[in-house]
Amino acid sequence: MVLRIRLARFGNKHQPFYNIVVAQARSARGSKPLEVIGTYNPLPAARTDASDAVSAPRAYKDITLDKVRAKYWLGVGAQASDPVWKLLNLARLVEEKPKTYNKA
Amino acid sequence: MAPRVQSRSVSNLLPYITSSSSSTSSSIPSLCSSSQSSRYFSATPAPQTKLRRQMFEWLSTQGSGLKHHTPGETNYLRMADGSQSNRPFPNNMTFISEPVLSEELRNEVYFRVKEQKKSPRAVSVELGIDMNRIAAVVRLVELERRQRDKVNFDSSPFFSSFEFSHSPPPRTQNDETPKNRLHCHTLVLCTKWSPPPPLAQAGERQTYHEPINDLPVHPATGAQIFYPVPESRPFTRVDAGRVFSGAPTLEKKVSDKITHPSDLVEDVIQKPGSIEWVGKGDNARQVLQPADVRIPHPQLVQLARDRAAFPEERRTVTQRHTERLERQEKAEKERAAHAAERRNRNTETIEPQDSRFSFRIKDAVVSEETVGKNGRAPWAPGRRYGVPTNDRTRGTVKIPTRVNV
Repeated sequence: MVLRIRLARFGNKHQPFYNIVVAQARSARGSKPLEVIGTYNPLPAARTDASDAVSAPRAYKDITLDKVRAKYWLGVGAQASDPVWKLLNLARLVEEKPKTYNKA
Repeated sequence: MAPRVQSRSVSNLLPYITSSSSSTSSSIPSLCSSSQSSRYFSATPAPQTKLRRQMFEWLSTQGSGLKHHTPGETNYLRMADGSQSNRPFPNNMTFISEPVLSEELRNEVYFRVKEQKKSPRAVSVELGIDMNRIAAVVRLVELERRQRDKVNFDSSPFFSSFEFSHSPPPRTQNDETPKNRLHCHTLVLCTKWSPPPPLAQAGERQTYHEPINDLPVHPATGAQIFYPVPESRPFTRVDAGRVFSGAPTLEKKVSDKITHPSDLVEDVIQKPGSIEWVGKGDNARQVLQPADVRIPHPQLVQLARDRAAFPEERRTVTQRHTERLERQEKAEKERAAHAAERRNRNTETIEPQDSRFSFRIKDAVVSEETVGKNGRAPWAPGRRYGVPTNDRTRGTVKIPTRVNV
């Protein structure tokens, strides 16, 4: 069966928090995965350490990722879901997916 | 329906301070006249309690002095002997109005920390201001200057309505122009600062703003412990700290080396990790250090001890003190740099061009230390499966108890 690297939602109502997990593609979102390889917090946090030079510092989103395990799972054929693909692209593990409006 | 009185009494903004007593009519004539005219149809005198009458009497006699205040002084009720007090509420003797920093002193703090590059610790001792306040002052002056650059203060009616200084603070000490700078807030006490620093020059000390070496109360010291000690055994503050934190007694070899509790200061500052731990798991805690270590300025105790021990060698004592301060500051800086480096080593910040946000990618490594032997340690990355979150159970504290920045 296909292995997927995908997000599993934790947190409360209006407070999403995701584990980046490796799981069987047909298993439920909340079921136990094969492995947790990281987390993603989609709620932006304001920066408190910005220097004076930056007038409007960007808020940041936290990602933790075990790059070694991610590479391994990608190497053995695990397929990343679209949201995870974007995160892996930020971590420079995969190329950006072609966008539909870039195809034509 | 009774006819409504369409009178001018509506325009009276303070109808509750009306009085019909003759004693007050002179002090607040406008109110009285309006009150009489507003009661056209009433033949009965206005009800007046004794306290109310007394209040108006007081307002017209002793209280009249408080109507306008002298700038630079407090406008509090005076003591029985007529002296100015720092207690705004005479019946509450425990409430003391603390002085605030004057504009000059505030700018001096900023000047010393940011332009002379002195450590907050040194400035705190020089000017007698708490270290936390020093940090707050530097941050706020910084913020104020940034705002001043953005907003044109002279044209803004909001800022020009303030009583205190609205000229920009001096960039350096030299271009201070006292003529266009008023003294600070006019209603509260200020610790004034006169520009030539009296510290080095006249040999007299700067007026201390507040006590700077207060010992913070540690929760471990709240317990009442009956701990019998034989008279033959020396029992110091170090031992007391160990008793409070439930640590075993120090070995005689170790305790003999400590001649005074402040001997431990150097070690703790150089290596804070060297403080011993007791207890297991959630109950693990560091051994409570003696007060000599926990106060904000432990070096002052050592300085006082040196002075007492070598009253003749003032220069040597001062030099030792300076060296000690330098060592402390160096250790603190190194530790801060080390912590920042460790934070940045595992974290990569990415700022995509087409995004409003930046992303911090932290390296999580799966190993026995990070995820535990069974891979399910509570400190492993990610939320745990099969562990209930008790955030909605009754009786648990749900309000945040700490702020992570």
